Amino acid sequence: MAELKKVKLTSSEGTEFIVDRKVAEKSVLLKNMLEDVGESDMAIPLPNVTGPILNKVIDYCTHHRDDPFVNQEDDSKKVSDDIDDWDAEFCKVDQGTLFELILSANYLDIKPLLDLTCKTVANMIKGKTPDEIRKTFNIINDFTPEEEEHVRKENEWCEER
Amino acid sequence: MPKGKLSLQPPKDCQEKRSLPPEVPWVSTTNFHSLPTPAPSPQLFPPISAEGYPPPPPDEEFCRTVRMGFQNMDNLQRQKLLAELLNSCNTEQLVFVSNFISPRLKRDFLKDLPIELSLHILSFINDPKTLSRASSVSKFWRSLLNDEFTWKNLCVRHHFRRRSSTVPVLPPSPTFESPTSKCSKFSYKDHFRRRYIVESNWKHGGRTLVTHISPDSGVVTSLQMCQNYIVVGMDNKKIHIFDVSDGNYIKTLTGHEGGVWALQYIDEVLVSGGCDREVRVWDIITAECRYVLHGHTSTVRSLKMKDKTIAVSGSRDATLRVWNIEEGRLLHLLAGHQASVRCMEICDDVVVSGSYDCTARVWNIMTGECLHILQGHYSQIYSIAFDGDKIVTGSLDSTARVWSRQTGFCLGVLQGHTSLVGQLQLHGSILVTGGSDGAIRIWDLETNRCVQNIAAHDNSVTCLQFDEKRIVSGGNDGHIKLWDIETGEFIREMTTSGNAVWRLAFQETKAVVLLQREGKTVMEVLDFDASET
Repeated sequence: MAELKKVKLTSSEGTEFIVDRKVAEKSVLLKNMLEDVGESDMAIPLPNVTGPILNKVIDYCTHHRDDPFVNQEDDSKKVSDDIDDWDAEFCKVDQGTLFELILSANYLDIKPLLDLTCKTVANMIKGKTPDEIRKTFNIINDFTPEEEEHVRKENEWCEER
Repeated sequence: MPKGKLSLQPPKDCQEKRSLPPEVPWVSTTNFHSLPTPAPSPQLFPPISAEGYPPPPPDEEFCRTVRMGFQNMDNLQRQKLLAELLNSCNTEQLVFVSNFISPRLKRDFLKDLPIELSLHILSFINDPKTLSRASSVSKFWRSLLNDEFTWKNLCVRHHFRRRSSTVPVLPPSPTFESPTSKCSKFSYKDHFRRRYIVESNWKHGGRTLVTHISPDSGVVTSLQMCQNYIVVGMDNKKIHIFDVSDGNYIKTLTGHEGGVWALQYIDEVLVSGGCDREVRVWDIITAECRYVLHGHTSTVRSLKMKDKTIAVSGSRDATLRVWNIEEGRLLHLLAGHQASVRCMEICDDVVVSGSYDCTARVWNIMTGECLHILQGHYSQIYSIAFDGDKIVTGSLDSTARVWSRQTGFCLGVLQGHTSLVGQLQLHGSILVTGGSDGAIRIWDLETNRCVQNIAAHDNSVTCLQFDEKRIVSGGNDGHIKLWDIETGEFIREMTTSGNAVWRLAFQETKAVVLLQREGKTVMEVLDFDASET
């Protein structure tokens, strides 16, 4: 049964993960690799992904293994408030992990995971004042007071409307 | 502290005894003392409370050695040491550690990610307030948020189409980086900013640019606003011309010997018709009447220009006449209707006419040939819309009908109004109708279903116009109302109401309304432009 085929993946530290082929194929990168390579027991090295992150990614792909593949590029429909409970829980991680997840989702080409993680960051920005955003991401305000005033003026148009 | 006693390798017995099980690394200091201590040696960090051991001052030498030793450890050893250190902290120190660490665990995502991923994050934000606030966070965020991609996305999502001809580009707001020399460059951010201000002005702001109050109470029969002029036709024989940009009065065209009932202009060429049965061709710039075209035997009730060369007039005498207005001569007489021609619309070489004989006809302007007779209405046709493909007619029988221009077949009967359908506008698959029942209905012509039914006015809807965002309607109840076309929701009244609204027209940033208020004919020009005052 092709469905039950297992795939070996190796994280950057050399930890080996064995997953169902179907789970691995949520990654377009892996899917293409597997198609190119054909039947093989060789582990696929993923030098850009650490073990803990790969573990998270596999969790995600396992949970979403039966989701249909959607190739939606309708930009007018992009919203960030359509995250379901499981996904929201999945994204409750420290910022470092979230950061690595975004990079890995991009590298492994898992569009729904990339969208989910990016939406999560977008939601961290939404509705916040500049100062709150700085606090959220530990960003230093590098404007001079004059520049800050200039930027404030420049952005006045969308406040209080 | 004597150097020789220092050993930064985790004590052997500590490893063996697992005195600090990794499962519970966060033991509070009070519990700590009850746990087996990593004694006997080396006693690096004696308990602070222990008597006889005053804590040694942290000298630099010591710190350096600890740091170096830490750096030489592998990951597991480091974790172990840290756990030990943290276990020996009191709450105050733990709070210090927590405050020290938590900002370090944060990431400046937008700065640290590859730019395409940062922009991907921003693409999920569609409220401009957040985006513009984000641009005040830091220099980097500001430069990123000036990215055209983000604002283009936002323009698309807010349906702020780029209309190069009608949208004058505001000079971009000055930035630190770029000198003001780049003024003419199109920027989506500035485009968005402008459109956003215009939008919110429509909803809650705007100003009355000018109000003209005529000394008499002349009835306004026709109105056109586009390009440079606002042109108003009156039943008192006059045609008034105003400047679109400031709403100021420019001139009056006089010559008609009866009320003006229909007019249209393209550039400087204006054609008008009325009760005197004449069609007049004017030059707006010189105010000169170029031609007076005779032929109709009754009031000219409708009139459309194909272009600056050809115009078609429809009359109460039941005929249409096609004129060469450049040379001032009749090209075709379109006969066939059995009663007054009430309305018409032109698209390319085809004119469609609606008549009091209950039919509409499709004509070829260039040959004068009647292509189809559209039969089905039970009563007079008062309104017509035509986009080159579909024809929609509104009738006193309280229905609207959709017809195919190609075949002449009726594609649908739109039922719902309870009285005359006097107002129609068609754009794409959206049709908006206004009735004498005071209702506005929005129809989807893909399905011929009514998608919104708005109880808009207490009396007849006398005029309406819509675009992709809104409907503005005027009624015999004297109100001018703004509606959301998507939801059908009432947004606001556009201006002080009057006794009756004659005509209205709007563009992206301006609206003009003609109404009767306190017995006088009033024209108001409303401005929603982005001028920040």
